[in-house]
Amino acid sequence: MPIEFQKGESTLHRLDARTKLLLFVGLTVVAVIIIDPIFIAILFLILYSFGARAVDRALLNRNLRVLVVIFSTFSLFQILFFTPKDAFLLFHLIPGREWIPVTVEGLIRGMAVFFRFFIVVLSVHLMLYTTPPVYLVLGLTRRERRRGLLRTAGVTVLLGAVFYAAARLAIPEQIARLPFEAGAQIALAAVAAVLAAFVVFSLATHGLPPEMGLALSLGFATVGILSQQSQRITDAQKARGYDVKPKNLIRRVRVLTALLLPIFLATLERSQDIAVAILARAFDYNISARTYRQELRFAAPDYLVMAVIVGLILGGLALNAMGVGNPTEQFVLRALGA
Amino acid sequence: MTFDIEFQDVSFQYEGARSPALQHVNLAVRPGEIVLLTGPAGSGKTTLCSCTNGLVPHYHEGTLTGQVLVRGYDTKRARIGGLSSLVGLVFQDPESQLVTASVADEVAFGPENLGVPREEIARRVAEALEATRLAGYDERDPFSLSGGEQQATVIAAIYAMHPEIYVMDEPLANLDPAGRAQVLRLVIEVARRRGKTLFLVEHSLEETLPFVERLLVLDGGRLVRDGPVDQVLAAGDIPGVFTRPPIVRLAEAVRLDPLPLTPQDFYARLQHQYPLGRYTESAKQEPAPPDGPAVIEFQDVHFSYNGQSAALDGVDLQIGQGELVAILGRNGSGKTTLVRHIIGLLQPERGRVTVLGQDASRTPVHELARRVGFCFQNPNHQLVAFNVLDEISFGLNAHGIAAEEIESRIQQSLEFVGLQEYRQAEIFDLGKGQRQRLALASVIALRPDILVIDEPTTGQDPRMAQEIFEILRRLNQAGTTVLLITHNLGLAAEYATRAVVVRAGKIDFDGSFRQLLPDLERLRANSLELPQTTLLASLLAAHGVQPWLTSYEQMARALQALTGAAGAH
Repeated sequence: MPIEFQKGESTLHRLDARTKLLLFVGLTVVAVIIIDPIFIAILFLILYSFGARAVDRALLNRNLRVLVVIFSTFSLFQILFFTPKDAFLLFHLIPGREWIPVTVEGLIRGMAVFFRFFIVVLSVHLMLYTTPPVYLVLGLTRRERRRGLLRTAGVTVLLGAVFYAAARLAIPEQIARLPFEAGAQIALAAVAAVLAAFVVFSLATHGLPPEMGLALSLGFATVGILSQQSQRITDAQKARGYDVKPKNLIRRVRVLTALLLPIFLATLERSQDIAVAILARAFDYNISARTYRQELRFAAPDYLVMAVIVGLILGGLALNAMGVGNPTEQFVLRALGA
Repeated sequence: MTFDIEFQDVSFQYEGARSPALQHVNLAVRPGEIVLLTGPAGSGKTTLCSCTNGLVPHYHEGTLTGQVLVRGYDTKRARIGGLSSLVGLVFQDPESQLVTASVADEVAFGPENLGVPREEIARRVAEALEATRLAGYDERDPFSLSGGEQQATVIAAIYAMHPEIYVMDEPLANLDPAGRAQVLRLVIEVARRRGKTLFLVEHSLEETLPFVERLLVLDGGRLVRDGPVDQVLAAGDIPGVFTRPPIVRLAEAVRLDPLPLTPQDFYARLQHQYPLGRYTESAKQEPAPPDGPAVIEFQDVHFSYNGQSAALDGVDLQIGQGELVAILGRNGSGKTTLVRHIIGLLQPERGRVTVLGQDASRTPVHELARRVGFCFQNPNHQLVAFNVLDEISFGLNAHGIAAEEIESRIQQSLEFVGLQEYRQAEIFDLGKGQRQRLALASVIALRPDILVIDEPTTGQDPRMAQEIFEILRRLNQAGTTVLLITHNLGLAAEYATRAVVVRAGKIDFDGSFRQLLPDLERLRANSLELPQTTLLASLLAAHGVQPWLTSYEQMARALQALTGAAGAH
């Protein structure tokens, strides 16, 4: 099943496309920072409950189910091969030879890894399900509009503050090691943060060139057509007496190759059609002066989501900095008397 | 005087092509003119259209000699984008022209490219949707619309760009009769509303001639006729290239003057010129439909795609061996859903479909396919190979036919559809009509007992459509049971032995064409369009003409009898 936009009126649907892009990027960062399995599982459940309200739960599950096996394997690897030096050993998988130790740390991180991967994947799914591809692209595409100086300065300072806080939490030793006195260290870090913020902000508002944005959007639009197309071709082959689900594995591979060819032809034809269709509608008229029907504008829920993401990132970093980033692990170890 | 479109001795040859697509074309279209261009498939009509917005030679490369001027701009030197702001080009297949996810985005796409300010875009979208009767469709997904609505969306998208010239390349070809009438009306209205030039390409002269002022005929890349409609019609047919609508030929046969373009005009003119007698010749007995055992049987079949609205709603139907049955009905009435059950591509939710004694829902498709041939509507959706030989042998291999026999079957089936010369051809080199016949050949090669064919004549010129029906008749005479979905009521009435009309998932009518054709109310309800000949026959019913006459010859005889005795005033 391709992940296609589903019409709806949910909170997620109403968020700005750019917010959802930020949500995806932000949650990816969060999934890196937060390592506690219970925190991350709760986060996953919250995200999932928003998702289940936005799109058909059966559809959501169908596409996630495939990944359970893959991510379980990742977890298993983590459990079996993540063995820090002072880890609390539970048992060896091959006891006689003391091979493959299973530790508390490994087990807990393994569980966390499962949800960390799922959070990233789920946020991509939800973004694609609840945002028409055109808006995603518009969100990414360059605008000619000039931004006000005040607005740019405001956003840069705000973003700089977040970066600064993150740096203080994530890399305090590195900042302390700077060859200046304490006040200068802080000033330097702050300036660096604001500079970084300015670069990020300019890059983000600069966006992709419209050609690339449109190529992307057309690509998105083609995905749906391709899945329809392959259904039609499969039907046509069945109707010609071709067994498309043979029991024999080798024949199955052959069936796939027989499907690839017409799909390739169909894609080629479709891309030609699209090229002609957009050229006939003046696509190359003057692309840098292109205008857009939809204006993207952030509303209160968008700012709320951004604040929550920033809060999660800074909070996670703060907990890690205070040495309480993984309370579950600490609790279990204490309970086991380590 | 400046012309909107001007061709000065234009020839064009596609890169890699063996012969030129256009040869020494000279043409000048004045602002505000409504021009119809016609000609057989492959005569260069699409190439000519593509010259007007620079797709030729900037996108489709090749050698262009002579000059194409659009509002005085030389297309060789202009960009496609610039020309597209002057020339709105609409193509045949609406689906292939849709590029966004909502109707409003689709309509806004052109104005956005032109850099129209946002408020103005909103105004233009609303105006274009209003003009194309799509108001309220803003947020609909274009791919979920009917063919007629899709084409209307494409026209709206062009309309919103405010072009000076509309060029429409067979905009009706892929639509059902209801969609055709709707889109044709639109096309004419859209051009007239703004007093713009309209350059229309169409095969179906019957429908379009009453709306146009000037008629062009293209053959082998040459413009062979060009003039006011009545003059071009008076100059007669060109065999194999230009066949005037039957109504015009009939009018000529009884010396009506001026030549009428609609049956109503014809009748009025006929009454004016002749004291009409009574036609007394009795019709030949309708040949009895073959009385073979039932090979397909639907028993109270129900089906729905989404579990809610019924696509088939209690269908009972029996098809006997050796019949040639036409399945008729408007788009979305359930025709395709019905025939897909025959080969098990769909299974009934309730009820039973029996094909050649087997339960179609329990027999795997690839096994049913051994005896039931199935041709899809769009040949591109069923081609599975790069070249003609592989295409035909695909099914034969799947059926496990011996290698020696494959050779002879390929030969026979190619001969059957008249594609012998294309034995070694690549699929990409075949036109749509040829692909359709190839698809048919690859099914015929399997020697099915039953052939199911879904709209084999969409987008084909009249001659090719007739050829396909000829092929089907020959197959039928050789013993194959044929089920055919079609919108072409005229050809169906001429060739098929039985009509089945599907309406909202139910069988609305099942019987002979002689019963169906005079039932104007039923035809209208199912948006079935009577061929003009039959329409004329029904107007003449009061004079004893059978209202189900379809063929030109029958009608000519009747008219001779009606007028000949009396002679002209």
